Amino acid sequence: MNSKNTKAGLYQVRANKLLMLTVFMLLFSVGMYAQGKKLISGTVNDKTGMGLPGVSIIEVGTTNSVATDVDGKFVIEAAVGSTLEISFVGYDTQTIVVEQNTSTLNVTLEEGALMLDAVEVVSVGYGTMRKSDLTGAISTLSGDDLLKGNITSTSRVLQGKVAGLAVVQDTGDPSAGSSIRLRGGTSLTASNSPLIVVDGVAGVDIDIVQPNDIKSVDVLKDASATAIYGSRGANGVIIITTKSGRKGASIVYNGFTGIGKAANNLDLLSADQWRGYVRDNNLADAVDYGGDTNWQKEIQQTAVSQNHNLSISSGTETSGLKASIQYFDNEGVIKKSGLERLSGNINAYQYAFNKKLKFDVGLMANIDKWNPVDYRVFERSFNLNPTIPVYDENGDFTSVGGTLYENPVEILTNRTADSRRHRLLGYFKTEVDIFKDFKAVVNTSLEHNALQADQYKPSYAVLEGRTENGYAQKTYAEYTTAQIETYLTYSKLFDKHSVNVMAGYSYLENVYQGFGAQRSGFETDLFGYNNLGAGYSYRLGDVYSYKGKSNLVSFFGRANYSYDGKYMATATIRRDGSSRFGANNKWGVFPSASVAWRISDENFMNWSDNWLGNLKLRVGYGVTGNQDGIGEYKSLSILGVGQDSYYNPATGTWSLAYSPTQNPNPDLKWEQTGQLNIGLDFTLFNILSGSFEYYSKQTKDLLYTYQVPQPPYLVGTMLANVGELSNKGVELTLNADVINKDKFTWSVNGTFAHNKQVIEKLSNQTYETDIIYSGSLHGLSGMSNQYSQIIAEGYPVGTFWGKEFLGFDEDGQFILSEEEKAIGDVQPDFIMGLGMNFTYDKFDLGISGYGMFGQDVLNATAMMLNDPNRLPAYNVPDSYVGSGINSAPTYSSYWIEKASFFRLQNVTLGYTIPFENIGSKLRVYVMGENLAVFTNYDGTDPEVNLTGLANPGIDRFNNYPRPRTFSIGLNFTLAE
Amino acid sequence: MKIKITALFLTSLFALSCTDLDEDLYDRVKDDNFGTTPSEVEALVGGAYSSLRGFSDGISNSFPGSEYVFFLNAVSSDETVIPTRGTDWFDGGQWQRAQTHTWQPSDGMILSAWRYCYAGIAKVNSIIYQIDKSGLTDEAKTPIYAELRAVRAYYYYMLLDMFGNVPIVTDFEDQNLPSNSTRQEVYDFVESELLDALPHLKSEIVYSKFTKNVAYSLLARLYLNSEAFIGVARWQDCIDMCQNISGYSLNVDYFGNFATENQTSGEIIFAIPYDHTAGTVGNYMSSMSCHYLHRFTISPTGDYPWSANGMSAEPGVYSSFEEGDIRRNAMVEGEQINLATGSVIIMDSGEPLIYTEDIPDFTNSTQNVGIRLGKYEMKPGETWERDHDLVVIRYSEILMMQAECYVRLGSPGLAQPFVEQVRSRAGVDTPGTIDLDFIDKELLREFLFEGRRRTDNIRFGTFFQPGWELGTTEPYRAIFPIPETVVNTNANLVQNPGY
Repeated sequence: MNSKNTKAGLYQVRANKLLMLTVFMLLFSVGMYAQGKKLISGTVNDKTGMGLPGVSIIEVGTTNSVATDVDGKFVIEAAVGSTLEISFVGYDTQTIVVEQNTSTLNVTLEEGALMLDAVEVVSVGYGTMRKSDLTGAISTLSGDDLLKGNITSTSRVLQGKVAGLAVVQDTGDPSAGSSIRLRGGTSLTASNSPLIVVDGVAGVDIDIVQPNDIKSVDVLKDASATAIYGSRGANGVIIITTKSGRKGASIVYNGFTGIGKAANNLDLLSADQWRGYVRDNNLADAVDYGGDTNWQKEIQQTAVSQNHNLSISSGTETSGLKASIQYFDNEGVIKKSGLERLSGNINAYQYAFNKKLKFDVGLMANIDKWNPVDYRVFERSFNLNPTIPVYDENGDFTSVGGTLYENPVEILTNRTADSRRHRLLGYFKTEVDIFKDFKAVVNTSLEHNALQADQYKPSYAVLEGRTENGYAQKTYAEYTTAQIETYLTYSKLFDKHSVNVMAGYSYLENVYQGFGAQRSGFETDLFGYNNLGAGYSYRLGDVYSYKGKSNLVSFFGRANYSYDGKYMATATIRRDGSSRFGANNKWGVFPSASVAWRISDENFMNWSDNWLGNLKLRVGYGVTGNQDGIGEYKSLSILGVGQDSYYNPATGTWSLAYSPTQNPNPDLKWEQTGQLNIGLDFTLFNILSGSFEYYSKQTKDLLYTYQVPQPPYLVGTMLANVGELSNKGVELTLNADVINKDKFTWSVNGTFAHNKQVIEKLSNQTYETDIIYSGSLHGLSGMSNQYSQIIAEGYPVGTFWGKEFLGFDEDGQFILSEEEKAIGDVQPDFIMGLGMNFTYDKFDLGISGYGMFGQDVLNATAMMLNDPNRLPAYNVPDSYVGSGINSAPTYSSYWIEKASFFRLQNVTLGYTIPFENIGSKLRVYVMGENLAVFTNYDGTDPEVNLTGLANPGIDRFNNYPRPRTFSIGLNFTLAE
Repeated sequence: MKIKITALFLTSLFALSCTDLDEDLYDRVKDDNFGTTPSEVEALVGGAYSSLRGFSDGISNSFPGSEYVFFLNAVSSDETVIPTRGTDWFDGGQWQRAQTHTWQPSDGMILSAWRYCYAGIAKVNSIIYQIDKSGLTDEAKTPIYAELRAVRAYYYYMLLDMFGNVPIVTDFEDQNLPSNSTRQEVYDFVESELLDALPHLKSEIVYSKFTKNVAYSLLARLYLNSEAFIGVARWQDCIDMCQNISGYSLNVDYFGNFATENQTSGEIIFAIPYDHTAGTVGNYMSSMSCHYLHRFTISPTGDYPWSANGMSAEPGVYSSFEEGDIRRNAMVEGEQINLATGSVIIMDSGEPLIYTEDIPDFTNSTQNVGIRLGKYEMKPGETWERDHDLVVIRYSEILMMQAECYVRLGSPGLAQPFVEQVRSRAGVDTPGTIDLDFIDKELLREFLFEGRRRTDNIRFGTFFQPGWELGTTEPYRAIFPIPETVVNTNANLVQNPGY
């Protein structure tokens, strides 16, 4: 509505200054209704019944126009007999004549053959935007993109799909998660994982969502996009929106079953090779136990998995319901391991009062069950002599004494470990159209996550069972996060101007608690872990409990402005206060600003219209934070009570001492990242579309537990904000519809990213550190307190530091350089994802893979196994025999390998049987996962953990083998 | 009207606003909320004693009864070596450097020893600060301060011995980076702190607490080593201090001092108590020496903790004991019998497990060489964390200090009865004349593996003379360097001369 036309007065709403809203609210001006016209309300939907936001409705011949809200609703006042033109980019325009009796209009727009990104709606945090209006770097995936391939966990389906988003699966253990990292890590201490937002609830566990329930995933990459999440936005934000009920009813079943085997094992000597070696070298003292055992195979199994997912959906004009249930049983390739998950999800929405009020309610829950594997079995499976049989002549487990020499099959068999995790997420969201153009949203949510872990090592178990005479343990840990978020949005379209303003407040409270108990000394093994009281041996520390709480208070706002779809600007601000921060830094402010220019829409670009569909330049800068590295109470001077007991000689008893546990740091605060992003979106020849991003991130106030001088400090380490590091990189996303014929289509999508990380500073006035040693080798024989990496100015995190290998001398001893130097780094130069989809008539074929290039891995497994002291008692790799290595394991560049790889992750071939009823269909498919890995790396798998400080890029016996899996599956959709 | 409705709605939304960011504590307390009741004060003072057990925190392991603090002093002396066995115990060469007196400021064990002392000092300072703030009367505070200052003096005594020129920090609230004091200043500080504390310490014997007797013993140690520390001999002062000590006698059974229940020994003047059921950690010296399979010599089912096959006696130590000297049983030698089979244990290599005195090449040893430490009781069913208390000062040391001082003062005859007491308990005769060399060797035999040999070596000068796998040692190595990370993080500290 235009005030010039209606001669209406203006008024302003002024919000409470204290609430930081003033700036935004001043922008609002709202017209009042003129007399003598007809008020028409309605909804614009797409053909699936989903409301279309931002649709323009113009009274032809006037400048009177409105736009639909996020649900596709609109209200316009128009003269009887006038014509309304309803248009939206990407859809065919409709015109409707206003009759005397017209009061509501429900319009369905048909898709036109235009740019896709113009119609895509993207979640940007506390609201949505049309993709065409974006000014920040945001990648969007729809549920259908995600489900073509691996469909077992939400984090894994993102693998290789978003430029700059590295999803690394540390092991093949189904119960282990993946690490997700966007654009290189920004933190030494804190989590480098992006913030996960599910249906508007920020900071939740990604595994609460099952892949089948995902409607879309939006990955907010640059700071101008993530600054709306302030002190939690520095590592990027992944916004997951789940499917909701749609008009009509539908039932969908997805199911598959598959078998997997370890894709690769180390080549160690077989019993025959071992005997040959012993014979050839005249090793008289070698003990031949007479068996022929492949110890790696003995702890493995063929893993059978099955997955069933059933979902129902229904909806009317004013309500919708969606529910799904899933059972997933994923066996691991190591005996007894796996993950069993039962999950359910239900959500509903209901409109009221002529669609002025909307309620959304959702509940997601799942239960995971698994048997944690003792990872110490891997090193033993490499150590044991292949002539040792698994069972002796009595059928008992063979037990040969020795260091790290326990029978790994015995370890797996004899101990019981059961873990269960419960996840729950519920939310209730209310949206109110307060008055024209204004909408208020209140979202309350609760997330609960509880882990229960039990284990029992019977009195006959070789490892820790015998010495403890039976050992039982039960632990429980949980957290609950309650959030309330309220925000107000104002959106207005007049002439060619589009304005959208949002301001809000959020309060979060996290409470965690847990307890545990353990006992040993059981007269019988009958109870397992179910009767701790039956254990007679008790130690201080055998029972414990804890509880803590933190809260986060935020004010935030965003303003978008766009002119004619050509010029766009966005500004956001967030102010976060956290109880975890030190007294001197309780509040942080995180601003951002970005602009975009659709160059292709300019008149001077008309010459390129026939080949350049879209060209948009985006530039943004923002400041974000990371507060994960600060635990609760870290800034305070605390007295703790733990295992700090003291003896009372008068009574002969022990009491507990209370002692300071940490150096207080009242200055403690978030890590702060300033990020510049320049992006270019393009579409060429209607075939190739994509975007290019350049970014530069500067992180300061890095949290690290610094070694501080003792004296004067109480404790030798202190968590403080000191260092600085930078990440710079480029990303390219390409999508090509190479062939798009009726019967045959071929599309290709690729993501490419390069990131360079440098630590700029590790010291400030108070703390001085030249080098932090990391990549600990502690625990490897002869490597106590040895480190393989440094964190130092001028180098990336995870720089291998050591002596360079120069050659072997005549005795097979390593010749190493005198000086230590940088001999590798764990950061990949380049990561990529590649997918191809073909359809031919009713067949579809999808191929996807991902790769990382240029990263170094310390093959510590090989370093320890190629040891001349091992034979004949301990097994060695085939390649060791005849290698001439005659030197005890020594860390040097010799053991650092380039671990570049490309993994052919998924190939799926499907056949769809269409039904007469449009929307119903049956698809059957076969799928192969982890089919091939192209690499020169010598170990079992080049993909090792790259995140964190503990052991990034170190392949160290803990390789739970990755499976190679083949599945057959069925998708069945029945729709009205 | 619309405005009012909107305003009302907005107000109702933001009425929920809460901006309280104070942290609520549930399972711990802020320091200013503690120390008001007598039991809370007791729990604070208890922390000074628990600090003596050391700690392990990812930077270093500073358990006085096993890892680096003990190793540093033992391996750098003439009693102990940690041979490199294949890869095992190479650990960057630090044990080889300790053996050959070529340690570097970056060696982890040196940092461990430093942090052991200063973590304890910082803790004691913080407890003094807490007691200051408590509501106790001055009369009630005085004996508490005395006890705490004596504990702190013990830490400074160790710093004086190991590092010499260390900063003296006594104020918990002072966060300035301190600078070095001279070794003389540290010496004076230890002496005056102990002398000041003495009148307020308990006169009676209170096991494992800092009493008058413990303070006298520490002062005696200080005077005994005074010549080595500051170049001023104070032999007579040492004797005088020893004679203040009363109420102790030699335990009839030498090994009673090292039994699991050794708190009953009437010989122990000061010990650090351990009990695994009370959650004490770090007391596993007994697991640091014997072979991995040694547990089968203790229990037929191997019901004894794994051991790490490290520390061994230097060649010559075992054979320096006379036949019949019961103290030789502090070492484990020869063929090791598997109690389950009755035959010799076979190692992974297929060879029998025989501990030998000879160590042909300590940088590249087989698993079996070296005679092992077995001074503290080893029995089936023990846990990794042992229950025996770690002996710091025994009455026998008081006797030997007097004997040594009399010899040094030129009256070996007066030394004779002290030495005789010690030796007759060990089942051996005492020669007619006692000289310094004899005292030196007797200290080795009596206090083998008790963590004090380096100090004796320095006092007798043998530390600087060539020895087994050892050339001549420069005098500056009588003290260790200040650890590299400490010097790097505190610009006010000057490294010890020579390093």
